[in-house]
Amino acid sequence: MNDPNELSPAERRALEALPRERAPRAELEDRVVAALQRRGLLPIPLSRADGARRRLTPWLVGAVAASLALFVGGFAAGQYVGSRSGAAAVLSGVQASRGDVAEVAAHAERAGAMYVAALTALSRLSDTADAPTRATARQAAITAFGAAASEVAHLAPDDPLAAAVLRGLDERAQGQRPASSTRSVVWF
Amino acid sequence: MNAGVVADRQGEPDRDLAVRVLAGDEPAFRQLYQRHTPRLFQLALRLVGGDTADAEDVVQDTWIKATEKLDTFRWESAFGTWLGAIGINVARETQRRHGRRREVEWSDAAEPPAAAPLERLEPVDLERAIAALPDGYRTVLVLHDIEGYTHEEIGAQLGVAAGTTKSQLFWARRAVRALLAPEAKGRLT
Repeated sequence: MNDPNELSPAERRALEALPRERAPRAELEDRVVAALQRRGLLPIPLSRADGARRRLTPWLVGAVAASLALFVGGFAAGQYVGSRSGAAAVLSGVQASRGDVAEVAAHAERAGAMYVAALTALSRLSDTADAPTRATARQAAITAFGAAASEVAHLAPDDPLAAAVLRGLDERAQGQRPASSTRSVVWF
Repeated sequence: MNAGVVADRQGEPDRDLAVRVLAGDEPAFRQLYQRHTPRLFQLALRLVGGDTADAEDVVQDTWIKATEKLDTFRWESAFGTWLGAIGINVARETQRRHGRRREVEWSDAAEPPAAAPLERLEPVDLERAIAALPDGYRTVLVLHDIEGYTHEEIGAQLGVAAGTTKSQLFWARRAVRALLAPEAKGRLT
């Protein structure tokens, strides 16, 4: 009983009464899943409905930022300029929304549609263009894509899809680094 | 007994879920996570001395390592036991990384009570006393007196001799008793 090497019955009972389980914060589960996805240990869902709902607002707000940057600044070294009036409309619409999420989301959807239309037009032009022009067009499209992913990652750092896009773009950039001196940079 | 074919209390056996996880099934992973994380989190929380953020990091890193090694797990022990062993190693890495030394004031020369009057002890006081222990003492006490590991198992897990863990347990219990003594409890916050 008084052997300091041994627990007394009361001590034993007290230790046995301590809980063996405790639930962590619910957010940890998504954090762990996202960490596994970033490491390629779980696939990144591209069309899961609940995931899309969860990421809806960051995606749309990010799309607004990227699309505005794309259209206001113009892109592809002037190969496609038809969207400037549309860009102005999107910009004024977002400014008029005064931060209302629903309105910004609606503008983001329109901007996203314009973005896709612009890339489609760019693709058509590229079909008949020479190699340097096609390279410029491709760089414009990828830069816009990266800008959108970067905005999403800024607004939702745990978003696995944005992380995967940025990782892929980063790997692509690293692979192209030796030729960077000749790469066309499209700034917007 | 092959732990992998024993159906868990929640239904689908761990081994079946693991096969699905290896095939990239996220819902299967979430089921496995929800089944085993409460125990892992509690263990991690005690091993890191009660720091919730550290314990969450331990849980995350443990699941990453477990998922990376899942295809090599031989299912000769229960999945939860294997996961816990990984968690212990991750928690020790966290302890080392932080260089934490939760030294507490008690005198080895003074004779603490052989057994503190624990009948009326609040669990929160006991938890605080355990959290206040130096990392090495705390690890051995948690694994032996709470988790039920033998000295041989602890020695194998920590890479030390069983005699070393016995010695550490002796001093850990002595320190807890000293911390729970009425005159010392005010230092537990």
